[in-house]
Amino acid sequence: MSPKKLIALTKAGIEESLQFRLGAFVTLFANIIYLVLVYFLWKAIYASSGTDVVNGMTFEDTMIYLILATALFNFLEMYVVWDMSRNIQSGKIILDLLKPMEYKAYTFWSYSGNHVVLFFLTFIPTFIIVMFVTHGAIPMGINLVYFIVSVILALVVNFHIEMLVATLCLYTESTWGINIVKETIVLLLSGASIPLAFFPEAARKVVGMMPFRAVYDVPLNVLLGKGGADTLSGAASLWGFQAVWAVILIAASTLFWNVSVRKITVNGG
Amino acid sequence: MSEAAILMKDLCKDFKVLNRHEGLKGSIRDLFSRDYKTISAVKDVSLTINKGEIIGYLGPNGAGKSTTIKMMTGVLEPTSGEIIVNGNIPYKDRTRNSERIGVVFGQRSQLWWSLPLIESFNLLRDIYMVKQKDYEDMLELYRSLVDLEPIIKKPVRQMSLGQRTLSDILAAFLHNPDIVFLDEPTIGLDVSMKAKIRDLIAGLNKTKNTTVILTTHDMGDVDALCRRIIIIDKGQKIYDNDIDHLKSYFGSYRTLKLRLADDTWEEHLIDESKEDIMQIILEKQKLSGVKDIQLQEISTEEVIKKIYEGGVA
Repeated sequence: MSPKKLIALTKAGIEESLQFRLGAFVTLFANIIYLVLVYFLWKAIYASSGTDVVNGMTFEDTMIYLILATALFNFLEMYVVWDMSRNIQSGKIILDLLKPMEYKAYTFWSYSGNHVVLFFLTFIPTFIIVMFVTHGAIPMGINLVYFIVSVILALVVNFHIEMLVATLCLYTESTWGINIVKETIVLLLSGASIPLAFFPEAARKVVGMMPFRAVYDVPLNVLLGKGGADTLSGAASLWGFQAVWAVILIAASTLFWNVSVRKITVNGG
Repeated sequence: MSEAAILMKDLCKDFKVLNRHEGLKGSIRDLFSRDYKTISAVKDVSLTINKGEIIGYLGPNGAGKSTTIKMMTGVLEPTSGEIIVNGNIPYKDRTRNSERIGVVFGQRSQLWWSLPLIESFNLLRDIYMVKQKDYEDMLELYRSLVDLEPIIKKPVRQMSLGQRTLSDILAAFLHNPDIVFLDEPTIGLDVSMKAKIRDLIAGLNKTKNTTVILTTHDMGDVDALCRRIIIIDKGQKIYDNDIDHLKSYFGSYRTLKLRLADDTWEEHLIDESKEDIMQIILEKQKLSGVKDIQLQEISTEEVIKKIYEGGVA
């Protein structure tokens, strides 16, 4: 596939997102409220535990992790399921299906521009604030490069989870319930709302094998230099984990989509 | 001209629909029901469309027009029968088929909502990999056909419906496709905009020899653009010929208008193959006296209306 098509789609996505720049500021504002809530919740948890370190994490560790998780969530969150089901109901999906590109690639690259914008408007500001407030709790070095690689892999994994669920919605023709279930599962099992270190030992082992961790927990560990990610080999093994899941999910969602799309009956007209 | 743009042979499309039951109890039963019924949306349709033709593809709501178009574009796979578009089997290679076709669906836009029109055009140029020279030539052609200046820098979301439809048609022709599908392109437009759109379609068809498949409920579009029309009803092709033949094909209808003695007008739709006009005039003359007579050719609209209502078959 010609990279020119992909760059053009990304560029258009950036231009479109910038039209709605106010949205990014609203997101930042909503984050502040959410993080105040998180702050007091975890303060209470640490106060009631009676120790400074819970499950190997200090209060400060937990807060940094959760703040960055929120920032990462704003930047990685996708609306493939919503958009696709809306397009199916309105029948607009036929216009996307008739683009001279694979539907999945077309969709992914249509979103990419938005992620680039959100990265600069929501993730970077949050990251800089955390950096200053915590005085160097985040290592500044090669781990930032490792993190970029990890985030791109996370984006691919997340997109294909979305595609799998969106394809499922082709059959059910109702989206809301399934999407809520998906969001809850991803947020809980990826470490976005509770650090995975807080899970019971057995659950942590199971969750550790699942793909959801590849979306938030792995990039965060790479960024913070934890879980062995401070060395190249350690980071590489985390990338490997993400890449394996990326390949599995790409294969699964492509197969599922190709089988399902033949069954599509586009509404209306 | 020898090679056909679209070839369909005994094309069928069936849909499986769940038999729904009424009420809460019925809805719960439906959750586990395997009680499907088969609805055939398109039945044994065969047709050949040549390059460069403008086809009026007509039929009442729910006749199977959209289903056929979706099969031609490759979005739906036929249940049985053959279909070849530009030498490709569309559902087997939808992406490749898409490179050579353009689509406009009256109520939906393929343009990027918040971007100026020219940005959408540039993006389509890159997606369809149109050569810069061809692209510029096409824009030049567009400028000669319509006044682009008021819309080219305007974001699509700020456009009027007419401007948006015009833009969507231009977007569909941008990569110089072999076939363009226009699904109700003039729906909701005012008279002058309709005329503009018709001129544009006719102009593009003429200069680029693009095959155009036009579905519409506006007989003005058909009269202005199409020489050949295909009518489909209940999934079957019921007419496929010149528009001129249409009026005589279903009987030689004319409208007879009579002004009676009390100055009221009376209208009669007359099939000249069955009734004699003079006879009717004479009878009326005896009954109530006739002051004035008008004889009108039946409009395409009236013929189509009669066909849809099942008056002829």
